[in-house]
Amino acid sequence: MAELVPPDSRRCNYFFLYDGSKVKGEGDATREGICYFYPEETPLDKQELLCGQLAGAGRCVSELSASPVRILSLRRTKFAIRMKDDFFWALGCSAEVPTISTCELLDQLINLFCFYNGSVRQSYQLYSQETLAARWAQYLSHLQSGSSKLQHIFSCLRTIDSTNVDPLLLLKAALILQACQRCPLVLAGCILFRGRVVSTQMSPELTMKVMVHESETYTKALSTFSSFGGAVSSTTVFLTMSELQYLQSAPIDKDFSCHPTPHKNTPQKKTRLSRTLSDTPSTESEPSDTSSSQSPLKGSFSPHLSDSSVFSPDPLDPPPQPLQPPFPNGKHSPEAEEEALEESYYYSFHSNEGGVSRLHSEGDRSLFEENSYLNGGGGGGDGDAACGAAFDFRGAEESCHDTVITKEAGGGGCESVQGRQAEMPDAPPGSGASDSPEECPLVPMTLYLHRVNGLVLALLVEPHFLSDTASMEEVYHSSLASLNGLEAHLRTICPGAPDAPGPYIFAHFDCIQSTLTTNLSGRPGGAPERPFVRATSLLHSHFCNTETLQEAIIRSAGAAVYGSRSVAQETYFQQHGGSLRNSGIPNHQDSAFLLPSKARHRLLKHGVNLL
Amino acid sequence: MIQETQTKKDRSASVVQMKCLLIASESAEVLFQWTDAEFQQNVQEQYGASQEEGHGLPAFEDSISTLFAPIIISCSTMVDRLSDSYTSFTTENNHIYVLHQFDECLYIAVNGDGEEGEGDLRRKIYVMKKMIEVMFGMVTLSSNLLRRELRPQDTEQRARLWKHLQSLLETYSQLRENDQSFLVEAVERLIHPTLCEQCIEFLERRLVQQLNGSVERAGEEVLHAFILIHTKLLAFYSSRNASSLSTSDLLTLIIMAQNMYPSNIDPDDPHPEDVESTSGSGPDSFYTPEPSPTDRDSSSSADKPVRGSTPVFEFVDPDVQMAEDSLQALEVPPPAPSTPRRVFLEVSHKDGLYPMMPHSMYCLPLWPGISLVMLTKIPTSAVAMSVYMFLEAFAKLEKRLSEGQEGSAATRGQPTIHDVRSKLDKFIKALGPSEIQSAQLQNVWTEFKNRAFSRGGPGFNRDLIPWCKNMKTQLCGIYRQCFLIESGQANIPQRLSPSLQERAQTMMQEKLMDWKDFLLVKSKRNITMVSYPVSTLFNLTYLEDFPGLIHFICVDRSTGQMIAPSLNITERNTSELGKGPVAQFIKSKVWSLVSTTRRYLQKGYSTVTLRDGDFYFCYFLWFENETGYKLEAGDIPILPDESAPIGMLAWDYYRKLLRYYSKNHQGEVVKCYELLTVHLGVIPTEIILQHCRQLASKLWEPSRNPLL
Repeated sequence: MAELVPPDSRRCNYFFLYDGSKVKGEGDATREGICYFYPEETPLDKQELLCGQLAGAGRCVSELSASPVRILSLRRTKFAIRMKDDFFWALGCSAEVPTISTCELLDQLINLFCFYNGSVRQSYQLYSQETLAARWAQYLSHLQSGSSKLQHIFSCLRTIDSTNVDPLLLLKAALILQACQRCPLVLAGCILFRGRVVSTQMSPELTMKVMVHESETYTKALSTFSSFGGAVSSTTVFLTMSELQYLQSAPIDKDFSCHPTPHKNTPQKKTRLSRTLSDTPSTESEPSDTSSSQSPLKGSFSPHLSDSSVFSPDPLDPPPQPLQPPFPNGKHSPEAEEEALEESYYYSFHSNEGGVSRLHSEGDRSLFEENSYLNGGGGGGDGDAACGAAFDFRGAEESCHDTVITKEAGGGGCESVQGRQAEMPDAPPGSGASDSPEECPLVPMTLYLHRVNGLVLALLVEPHFLSDTASMEEVYHSSLASLNGLEAHLRTICPGAPDAPGPYIFAHFDCIQSTLTTNLSGRPGGAPERPFVRATSLLHSHFCNTETLQEAIIRSAGAAVYGSRSVAQETYFQQHGGSLRNSGIPNHQDSAFLLPSKARHRLLKHGVNLL
Repeated sequence: MIQETQTKKDRSASVVQMKCLLIASESAEVLFQWTDAEFQQNVQEQYGASQEEGHGLPAFEDSISTLFAPIIISCSTMVDRLSDSYTSFTTENNHIYVLHQFDECLYIAVNGDGEEGEGDLRRKIYVMKKMIEVMFGMVTLSSNLLRRELRPQDTEQRARLWKHLQSLLETYSQLRENDQSFLVEAVERLIHPTLCEQCIEFLERRLVQQLNGSVERAGEEVLHAFILIHTKLLAFYSSRNASSLSTSDLLTLIIMAQNMYPSNIDPDDPHPEDVESTSGSGPDSFYTPEPSPTDRDSSSSADKPVRGSTPVFEFVDPDVQMAEDSLQALEVPPPAPSTPRRVFLEVSHKDGLYPMMPHSMYCLPLWPGISLVMLTKIPTSAVAMSVYMFLEAFAKLEKRLSEGQEGSAATRGQPTIHDVRSKLDKFIKALGPSEIQSAQLQNVWTEFKNRAFSRGGPGFNRDLIPWCKNMKTQLCGIYRQCFLIESGQANIPQRLSPSLQERAQTMMQEKLMDWKDFLLVKSKRNITMVSYPVSTLFNLTYLEDFPGLIHFICVDRSTGQMIAPSLNITERNTSELGKGPVAQFIKSKVWSLVSTTRRYLQKGYSTVTLRDGDFYFCYFLWFENETGYKLEAGDIPILPDESAPIGMLAWDYYRKLLRYYSKNHQGEVVKCYELLTVHLGVIPTEIILQHCRQLASKLWEPSRNPLL
């Protein structure tokens, strides 16, 4: 088949969604079943050929093995497959891209669609194929936009370059988010600047989803609010139960969850909104809350479920399934492992002493530090509210733990996703159990966006937030000044000249936060980095497939690359220059074997601690 | 498109751990199948579920063909319309399907128990193909003929042939899973220099000389003789005028020998039925050709001059004519144990390499676990060389024509088409008086000459392509008659007489009588970490000299030989690794290390070190010249994922690597070595690397190992 595009330029060569239910009878044309095909300019007969053959062969294999096909390889293209009900998704990448990354990309794409549109089947009942095709195209282009080959390997969040940014600005961003969270209708938020994350309270997966709307071109589906000068807009989004659960169990609205008064616009709100940082509930009250076996959580969930029927015109009618997301109202009695997971989550979260110390001892030190900067902890004194300083610190620390746990449980890296699946025997393996939108009911929520030039404040809010003018105004006005200030500061920071190509290349992937640090970005994809990217891709696949592997050095005639990983991070390092002349025989003076110590030494200044 | 079949009842609850290997033609006809019991059960369940009218369950073969048909047909559609094809499927429950097409035969290998990865399955496919090549020789070059060989119409014959192939495949799988030499695909020698030398001398002076001097050898000539202790080589002798035996062929022969006389590799084997099934076939049944199903009328009509008819009909199915002409009804009873096995091996001749040349293989059991294998040259083997030369000439011509070259551009090259013409004329003339039916070849050749050479004819252009194909098919048919249909030719079978074989067996038994028990034990503990001295000067053992070293494998890829401490985890008196789970764990680590390093090597990485759990693994591949000087590391080709497996059994990767590397070292003999080590992770890296360096230089020191 003619390669229309150089394989380098696109991450994904093909993507299609095929609806087998439309092609049941003998006379049905394959094209009836094609919901979306990328690249759209592909001739229809080729589309039909690929859809028909792949779906047919896939169906045949999955019947033989009694399990859906996950990966389908052709000689030149590798497809990640998802088969669900009668839908057949296929996303094809070139064979160089690691299989695991291809699968991740497909999952991201489907999850993104479900985030903004709800269930796929239902979307195709409600909207025209053209409308949805445009959305698939948009999500696909978002996931592919501006990503380098390294980013094809790691599905990472793009963050602002923290080395050029005053840490105080990050702290400020975190504080803005925290302040917004004072409003009980606000679940969590993130601040983005020119397509990069400044600060986020959400899991990397959720942050990635929210970022689609960051691109300013996409405003059609948004309803703007003229009262706020067009700067504020919102859209309905759909969260999975597990996502919602983690968001709602954030400490900040614990107390609120106990008084489920969702959509009545009660006067209480006013008082709560005017709450200052200092009048959050004391931590002492929390353990007693939780000691009563998760009852607060129940309280927080049931109302939202009933909400869903109110907010979506026809109920999403979640199919009654044995695998409910941890739905703790006793009757479902979740799987033992799930319970264990839940509990450990709970303990580490709530029991003040034990949980915290455990985290400290277990958690990687550097991870902890980085987390705190993303969440605005950092412990630095802040001028905003002197009286709140003590709280700030505590709050930051706590929310930091929160993030860590949330992400671990929500599936940060590939291992944890797999780990989680392994823990749920009923979940179809590989389908991203907890995240699989078709598995669990989706809960409609609202995404609130406040744009100040290149800066976007994105908040996930309860749907009735929009009808609660007072809350909205409060959130808007309380954050407006800070956002303007932050934007002004960030704007003045020049992206900084890209590092002069040093004597080495490195890439550091934080699996927990899904962030990538590298000194490769900014440089055009040149020849010298190709061996590095190739080696990184191989090593990353190897790390993903072999849990016990910690370190590796691989050497070809031209390049030696060192890779190292821990639970929280993966680091890749290649030294330039110096002759690689060697005979390939073992020799401890060989420069390849000095890579680990060089990496440890060199990367310290990039904040990467390999010790 | 493929019509999607009805969704079956949800069987997700049952975990199916199935394995299968299938060869199918493009029309979804099953040419060979091997399945384990789980797969068979699974297929029958599925088939039962879709049979609603309550017919009896169809033959297993039919069900498997029906179930795989959509994949097979989709595969050819993809090739035809996208010129791409499926290479693998992975399901969410980690079943792996690997597909590979050789000519018109599609191989599908399935694993559902997680023990084999994609690479293992691909390797299995290539090994299967290799074994078929060794068994059928150049007949494999014609898909039409091969299809008939693999799927004889007579169901009893088919069952016998498939059972034989199945047991070969099972023997291979068992060796790959348990034997280090089949893990790395290199021959392991039994380290006992004195005895080895004695045996070689005995083979040369006594055995081979006596056999080749006897009148009872019926024109055969012993070229190679070797003694196997289980899978290890005690002594190998080649006669002076024999070409060297390639590692790939030798490994295949060891599998065949092991299949005929299985040694109980695993005495604690919890699956006695496996052993039963493999041992049940040896001394294995010999494949006999199908009886001709046709009457003479149709064949005589095929003999009519074809000039007047339209060309389309002449070559529409040349193999049908072939079958009619050449297949005779031969009811050959299962052969006696003394019947040699026909094997097709590579021969390097002064004017080049000749693949798939006919030999006879005699495998004489001396005692359980010890056998003598002899390879003989058969009297008519010159025919095979001619056939190969003609086949190659027509294949080259076909290639050029299909590339659009015409006229003299298409015929250049060695030998020239005129050479071929006169040689082929002579060849056919020589065949005339023999029993070989060459009329069909004669006809096709005449027609070919008319088209290609006559003044008014079309000459060398695209229209000749079908005639090239047809010529190739006819030549393969001649080859088949000469070397596959055996005993029908004459009343006296061509082979070493049974009494001669018996004499050889007795001689060898007498020679080794005192050694046999020692040899059997030695083969299980060839080298061990505690017992084997590292150096003849300092009587240190590996364990003392290399503290922290747990295991190593060293391979000389130029000679295809390997050295490694034994990993006999199932022996009662186990090695220093202990027994049970620890040894099993280390074994599994070694096995996975080999497959990991192969993956990196495939992508051009010749050095790999890994810190994995409590272990530190190293892998090195390097080149030396003949004097032991280490040559500079060179670029290693980067291969696609679905390329042939790295190894020496099915596809000699290292031979190609050496050729590739030698381009920059003209006039030098280049040797290639590999070293794998497993160390405890607590040992400092510098020490580990020092160990590796010492091992690399010591292991192949001539003083240390006089055999190599």
